[in-house]
Amino acid sequence: MDCTNNEKLKIIYGDATLGIGGKKEGKEFHYIFSYAASGMESLYAEGKEWLYSVPKPTFWRAATDNDRGNKFCQKSGVWIAADLFIKCIDVLVKVDGKEIPLPVMGENNQYSEEERAEQVELVYTYETVINPPARVQVSYRVKTGGRIFISVHYKGREGLPQLPVFGMRFIMPTCADKFIYEGLSGETYPDRKAGGVEGIYEVEGLPVTPYLRPQDCGMHMDTKWVEIYRSRQLSNCQKEEKQTCIRFEMEKLGFSCLPYTACELENADHQEELPPKRRTVMCVYGAVRGVGGIDSWGADVEPAYYVDAEKDMDFSFCIVPFAKA
Amino acid sequence: MQADIKWLDDPEVFRVGVLAAHSDHLFYKNEQELEKKENSLIKSLNGVWKFHYSKCPSERPADFYKSDFDSSGFDEIKVPCHIEMAGYDQIHYVNNLYPWEGKMYRRPAHTLSGSHKWEGMFSEAAYNPVGSYIKEFDLEKEMSGKRVVICFEGVEQAMYVWLNGAFVGYGEDSFTPSEFDLTPYVKEKGNILAVEVYKHSTAAFLEDQDFFRFFGIFRNVTLYAKPQIHVEDFWAKPVLLENGNGKLSLDLRLSMKKVCQAKVEVLLQDEEEKVCLNRELVLEKRKQEICLTMEEAEIGPVKIWDNHSPHLYHLLIKLYDEKGELIEIVPYPIGFRRLEIKNKVIYLNGKRLIINGVNRHEWSAESGRCIGMNEMRQDMEHILANHINAVRTCHYPNQIPWYYLCDEKGIYLMAETNLESHGSWQNPGGQNSSWNVPGDLPEWKEVVLDRARNNFETFKNHVSILFWSLGNESYAGENIAAMNTFFKEKDKERLVHYEGVFHNRIYEDRISDVESRMYATPEQVKEYLIHNPKKPFILCEYMHDMGNSLGGMASYIALLDQYEMYQGGFIWDFIDQALFVQDEVTGKKVLRYGGDFDDRPSERSFSGNGILFADRTEKPAMQEVRYYYGLYK
Repeated sequence: MDCTNNEKLKIIYGDATLGIGGKKEGKEFHYIFSYAASGMESLYAEGKEWLYSVPKPTFWRAATDNDRGNKFCQKSGVWIAADLFIKCIDVLVKVDGKEIPLPVMGENNQYSEEERAEQVELVYTYETVINPPARVQVSYRVKTGGRIFISVHYKGREGLPQLPVFGMRFIMPTCADKFIYEGLSGETYPDRKAGGVEGIYEVEGLPVTPYLRPQDCGMHMDTKWVEIYRSRQLSNCQKEEKQTCIRFEMEKLGFSCLPYTACELENADHQEELPPKRRTVMCVYGAVRGVGGIDSWGADVEPAYYVDAEKDMDFSFCIVPFAKA
Repeated sequence: MQADIKWLDDPEVFRVGVLAAHSDHLFYKNEQELEKKENSLIKSLNGVWKFHYSKCPSERPADFYKSDFDSSGFDEIKVPCHIEMAGYDQIHYVNNLYPWEGKMYRRPAHTLSGSHKWEGMFSEAAYNPVGSYIKEFDLEKEMSGKRVVICFEGVEQAMYVWLNGAFVGYGEDSFTPSEFDLTPYVKEKGNILAVEVYKHSTAAFLEDQDFFRFFGIFRNVTLYAKPQIHVEDFWAKPVLLENGNGKLSLDLRLSMKKVCQAKVEVLLQDEEEKVCLNRELVLEKRKQEICLTMEEAEIGPVKIWDNHSPHLYHLLIKLYDEKGELIEIVPYPIGFRRLEIKNKVIYLNGKRLIINGVNRHEWSAESGRCIGMNEMRQDMEHILANHINAVRTCHYPNQIPWYYLCDEKGIYLMAETNLESHGSWQNPGGQNSSWNVPGDLPEWKEVVLDRARNNFETFKNHVSILFWSLGNESYAGENIAAMNTFFKEKDKERLVHYEGVFHNRIYEDRISDVESRMYATPEQVKEYLIHNPKKPFILCEYMHDMGNSLGGMASYIALLDQYEMYQGGFIWDFIDQALFVQDEVTGKKVLRYGGDFDDRPSERSFSGNGILFADRTEKPAMQEVRYYYGLYK
């Protein structure tokens, strides 16, 4: 997996961030993890920036017609606030497996410009703003060669209503040209995936399924990997539009890759009310509630397809800063 | 007879001068025209008509039908087309509330006995739009001198017809053909046809389907001339015996312009055009209208019709005059199949019937319920590609070609009668049958029987129809029981379907051959099936595919293998009902739903439940339908 001929990671102990740089087969990558901004602030690879904002746990999907009909939104509406306003309560740094005191300004005076390691891990602990609060730990482990191993742990809490989804949301600066994934055909959900055919699929543009009233869409269950291809950048000086890609690897997780966040979809009553497509919103889901279908005015989804917020949840995946080697 | 606007208020007047409903056959005057599928005795009146819109009856140009009326101030409208889609009246989507909810207080005539008589409810209403249509036409040479009939295939919701100033008739039942005999009034040149269409009449209480509420002439208008001897109606009754042999009997009703010694030849050909039957019937009686029967004839081994291999036979009825000259040919595709209930399980051709169905409204985002062959063909392609084997014509009879297409492609039909009175017993305000129609009210009996008769008589020859459906969500009472009796007496083979007895179990033994439910959970279906069930079970609506839905289908499909008496269901529904408009902000072509036209009250996007989007592209959920329905293909 890791190529031993690649040099060790270079660590930059900044005052407010931790930078990690390296090369894989001559290609540069560089990541910045922020203490203040509470997460990964930069993922630079393949000649461009891949993060617009800091990835955060996500707890909301734009209500489907069935969610509205069976009053799921009223029962579980707190999760939209959790999704929008999560706070970070702790950051922890481990270098080559050893925890170090948070190397912020002052503490970082002990380091030099030539710090190297084989593995760096940052663990962010988030707490939701809802009552009772729930905690999520997100660990980023960066290894020589640039792979980022992400593990997400949700600590269940009694008294919390069912979740629509639980995942990690990555917002990229510009719209992707396309994405390619290995998993099931079409749009699938836990209770609607029998018709999905396993295979490798290429999806041009960032299509939004044109439901009469915009709602959650574009879910792909049981996915093994996704490659996201972008050409355009926001940089004022880097105008080159070269198509490059990063890759998410996982073990049968759900994902959606859309130009909108759940809240943007939630806000629109019609497709034409959605804003212009501007970013790429890539969500990797550890848990997805079924869509249901018995009726659209009260029937719940089947219990097997609930997401129970009172129980612990874990999922992990990996970001590879290049297309498949 | 003179037209009377008060008919709008009277549930006992629903057809005046409308010809008896009859089989939907085509006819040709000779072999050459049959071969070319061209009929010189038919003339379409579709196209541009003169038109005037009035908001209410008192504002209408009441004498517009007169020959000397000056129609120079009239607009023009396309026929067929919904009047609202031409920009004249409010586009309105509402589900089960009556469309006047919150604007007018109304109760159906004769309900809540002793109270208000409701005179003038529709004829004097401050809002009851009227479309006044005028069409001028000449008769083609081929048609003049013959008996001429006009056929309106669909007009919502009540219409008065005049020709050359003379009153011809009045009709309701928006979704079956209304035909009028024009012979006494028609001229060779310069005919003036006047049609006055009302948005609401007492029929409105019976047409409360969950859809956009339109009015106007929304299906074809056709003139046809009858040859000297003409097949008015027939019912071919193919029988498939258990040994695989077929039998065929035939009831015929003929008419003649001039009484003569006619001869009838009945021919049956198989798919290779091999003649399987050739009978000659000689008319003994000399009358202008004659009913005759061809007794059951043995055919020998036949190829059966079903979803997998919809083999059709070609029936030809040829009429000759006394000189032996061919006067008319009627071709019709028929099929051999055997439908029966054994041990409370429905069998088709000896095999347990499994319904992998869908409910289909006729819909186009461009033109509403005014659709053409193009839409029908596309719909059929989606149906075939996704292993759907059955369609419920929710909640009204469809355009005639759809039934022929289903015969040809082997699609099982639940042919629904045009009846829904949902708002009269269940709506967002609650459930209360105190003023339900048709209920048990004698004044509302004949009108619903008429609708049943129109449905049956028009479509009885279609092999694809396995079920007659009495209507949708109209509760249950004596009048719906009478509809059930009508179908059972007329048609011994097909099954009768009605869901509403679920809400009024008193009628359980008198209405519906099947236990039909809508949106029952898989658990509720099991509940019925494990507690000494009386009837085979069908879900006439299930898997409500509003927006991003259709999850959990596995649990329904599993029932097919678990319970013999569970025979499947019809997904709700086929296509999103939404309309294309130009966005007032961006100018782009966009889809709009209820409430987007300032229409109130509205159930908003609740009409978007298709497995197709309104533009006829498939929703992502379709692959799930294809998978599960494909398991039983």
